Amino acid sequence: MSTHTIEHGEHEVGHAPSPPDRRNLLQRPGWIRGALYTAIGFGIATAFVTGIRSLGDLDPVWELDVLLTAWTVIVPLAFLAGMGVFSYWIYWVTGKPTQPEDHSGHGAESWKDYFRVNTDHKVIGVQYLITVFFFFIIGGLMAMFIRAELAEPGTQLIDPNAFNGFTSVHATLMIFLFVVPVFAGLGNYVIPIMIGATDMAFPRLNALSFWMLPIAGFIILASFLLPGGAFSAGWTNYAPLATQQPDSNLMFQMGVQWAGASSIATALNFLVTIITMRAPGMTFFRMPLLVWANFTTSTLVVLATPFIAGSQFLLMFDRVLHTNFFEVAGGGYVVGYQHIFWFYSHPAVYIMLLPGFGIVSEVLSVFARKPIFGYRLMALSLVAILFLGFSVWAHHMFVAGMAPWLRIPMMITTLLIAVPTGIKVFSWLATLWEGRIHFKTPMLWAVGFISMFVIGGLSGIMLGSVPIDQHASDTYFVVAHIHYVLYGGSVFTIFAGVYYWFPKMTGRMYNEALGKAHFWLTFVAFNVTFFAQHWVGLQGMPRRVADYDPAFANWNMISSIGGFVLGASTLIFLYNMLVSWRSGAPAPGNPWRALTIEWQISSPPSKYNFDEIPQVVGGPYEYGVPGARHVVLNGSRTVETEKPEPATAGAEH
Amino acid sequence: MGSWRAASTACGNRCPFRIAVREPGRLVFRGAKPGPSVRKTLYIQLLLLTVVIGAITFVISLVAISWLPTVASEEGKRIDDIYLFTSVICIGIFALVAAVTVYAVLKFRAGPGDMEDGKPIHGHTGVEIFWTVIPTILVTVIGIWSAVVVVQNDDLPDDHRIVNVEAQQFAWSFSYIDERDGLNGMQVGELVVRVNEPVELHMRSPDVIHAFWVPEWRQKQDVVPGITTFYRITPTLEGTFPIICTELCGLGHSVMRNQVRVLSDADFDAWVADQQQAVDSGGATLGQSVFQNQGCAACHTLSAADATGAVGPDLDSVLAGQSAEEIRQSIVDPNDVISEGFAEGVMPPYGAVPEDQLDALVEYLVTEAGG
Repeated sequence: MSTHTIEHGEHEVGHAPSPPDRRNLLQRPGWIRGALYTAIGFGIATAFVTGIRSLGDLDPVWELDVLLTAWTVIVPLAFLAGMGVFSYWIYWVTGKPTQPEDHSGHGAESWKDYFRVNTDHKVIGVQYLITVFFFFIIGGLMAMFIRAELAEPGTQLIDPNAFNGFTSVHATLMIFLFVVPVFAGLGNYVIPIMIGATDMAFPRLNALSFWMLPIAGFIILASFLLPGGAFSAGWTNYAPLATQQPDSNLMFQMGVQWAGASSIATALNFLVTIITMRAPGMTFFRMPLLVWANFTTSTLVVLATPFIAGSQFLLMFDRVLHTNFFEVAGGGYVVGYQHIFWFYSHPAVYIMLLPGFGIVSEVLSVFARKPIFGYRLMALSLVAILFLGFSVWAHHMFVAGMAPWLRIPMMITTLLIAVPTGIKVFSWLATLWEGRIHFKTPMLWAVGFISMFVIGGLSGIMLGSVPIDQHASDTYFVVAHIHYVLYGGSVFTIFAGVYYWFPKMTGRMYNEALGKAHFWLTFVAFNVTFFAQHWVGLQGMPRRVADYDPAFANWNMISSIGGFVLGASTLIFLYNMLVSWRSGAPAPGNPWRALTIEWQISSPPSKYNFDEIPQVVGGPYEYGVPGARHVVLNGSRTVETEKPEPATAGAEH
Repeated sequence: MGSWRAASTACGNRCPFRIAVREPGRLVFRGAKPGPSVRKTLYIQLLLLTVVIGAITFVISLVAISWLPTVASEEGKRIDDIYLFTSVICIGIFALVAAVTVYAVLKFRAGPGDMEDGKPIHGHTGVEIFWTVIPTILVTVIGIWSAVVVVQNDDLPDDHRIVNVEAQQFAWSFSYIDERDGLNGMQVGELVVRVNEPVELHMRSPDVIHAFWVPEWRQKQDVVPGITTFYRITPTLEGTFPIICTELCGLGHSVMRNQVRVLSDADFDAWVADQQQAVDSGGATLGQSVFQNQGCAACHTLSAADATGAVGPDLDSVLAGQSAEEIRQSIVDPNDVISEGFAEGVMPPYGAVPEDQLDALVEYLVTEAGG
């Protein structure tokens, strides 16, 4: 403890680089030690399971489900230890001298720096974004296979087992490895800067959060290698179908644990950062709406995610420990799984939407050159969604065989949650009104988002009504609804955010023409793909089917063609990002003439974001108000200093 | 209303927005004053656009395209009413949003090199209350109406038929458990009901969750292992409609289909007589009706029964030369011998078929294909 304190003091005085690490490659944290520890972890897990099973005379000794459980817990931990994620904490707990955090690892000099454990929030933000877009592409390729199979009725390309596998893994990757964490990535990069902080509150926890994510993705993808193919009970993984499946189903159950743990850790980090590390003058009602959105989202994540962890643990116990939570033969209750699952997975819809709402608010205000209409009500409607979001989960279960009376209160709350959501939509429209709108690429995505999300929201109101849901649930109407909400909704906001902050993150401008081409192609292809699915579903096509009534052949063909164009449109985005990152025009500090703090510093920001802690003096969206300022940087500041924060406060403890 | 009036005094009768600019310490109302004619045109144009988009959406959504299949039940009609009502509200909201978006995009576009800011409008309490209260009222109306429909649809007259439904991977079977028409205990492979006679289905599943859906009846209900779920319906239209499993239940989910035949009183009585006759005659004749009733035709091809299913092996070829014992074994425990090119676990075991029916089915298959 004393050592630690002294080092802490030293580092605060000056950012002296640490002495070079003299340990050999097998001992030094990094990929080589990571590989070594992974192998050791694999050996320990295997020996542990087979050893205990042979001691207990259990047959067979080599039982795949038990081994998979041990592997998916122990091997990732060993890998993380090898990469050095735990080093500081282990040294501290065991009383060894800890490596002082000297920030020498901050920043990224070359692409290689993104492949090691780094505690810099900006590096972690980029690591997140690259990782999640990798899984976005994989999940997208699976969608291409799904649409190829569905282009015609009958079985052509993939058999029903592979089809169910692709739909299940597609949804799992898109939800747990793309939409949920992409906002953690964007938030990681911009939120500390937006509130005038130098880093997140817990940088080491931040690194751990990130490194758990590729592990989750790897486990989920590895299920394809197991006997029987990938898990194929849908991303909802309902019991008892999940328990009936081959052992690859465990990979969903355990993969989700890692993604969930990553999500919870990041959310805690955001909460503490936003509550304690705002710059002087940054009151809650001077926070940009993205910060509000992240604050409410993080609260949802922390409260709700343990429920999906619980649901998957109980499934795992049923399979591996032979408990009977959802096994009818042993007195289990099948619908109970759905209650626990949706208690997370409905709030998860808002976890995937609220940060996007925040991004859209930023972009609309900047590119319409107007203040957000009804800022306070916008912030409070986020809070209203947070509370209501916990009282609507059973609308996914109107026909599931739960207590009949429960449908009515769940329907009422479900319909009421449309009110704060509607407030946001109307306020965005009012923000556009009498603005001076600049249609740069981020703005196209934001305006496109409003129209697409409204369609998804309205079909959501229809599904929220029990009688309509009795007809439409589990059909392609729901498939269309979820894609209008999560693609036309979340993914459009993600693209808005990525284009908007691309100059800040890379210090280069993206290609505007390619960005616009990407938007228009996606916008048209998206509607071609998904709109007719509303009709097909209401007419009688159930979802999650590898084969369907030939009466729906034409519309499915159109859907598939739209799907392929949609897939191709993503290539434009990737090309634009890669080429612009390498050789785009250098970006000025504030290309959009925005008022929020992240645009008042250089692009990309310096290692510690600010030379001195900014002083916030007004609201974030005072466009058109003569002389209004949001922040004062490096200038003569007012004497008001409510919260003196040391420049490196975030880096310790 | 008060705030509107306050706004009027603040910006000379023309500005519809009360503009609140927060400056340190005090709230100031401020607003630009465009000429009255400009402002009026603005809103008239917007109104026209809303009406046009609304009309187009209305025609596409409710007139030109039939979104729902023919309705064939009392309950379905009530669902269609609430569907229509909700659609109209949604179309109105969509038209408004689309019109404002399109209008703003066209009208408020900044010219090249325009470095001006928009009007610093921070909000308007009246407008914000308006768009909080109106949607609340609309969704409340939808909610109350929906709740009434739910209660009405759950309430079946006491004088209704009860049919047990068993859903198992990947087939449906039905048994008539009440005394009506002397069908007591009769197990059949397709659902046959009288038109205008209320039916309550008592649904069970021995394996995983399935869902019973007849699109023309609108109603849908999951079939859940461990509990009995209920499906209440009053068919109003004669005809044959598909029964579709809508809950992912494994490899054969997309082919887990069956049909319901809604018959007139005369046709229903004739069908009952046919069933009795098949039971009485026994042997291969009964076997053929068991083959139909157990839904074998959904997955297997058998030319003698006009069956053309393609999920499982073609019985015309695989049964050739098989003994009665082998055929019986493949029905009771399908995974014992798997034909080449087919996956294990797709066909459920049919051990629960009554012994005499099983004998008749085996006899029928031996006669038609085995020998």
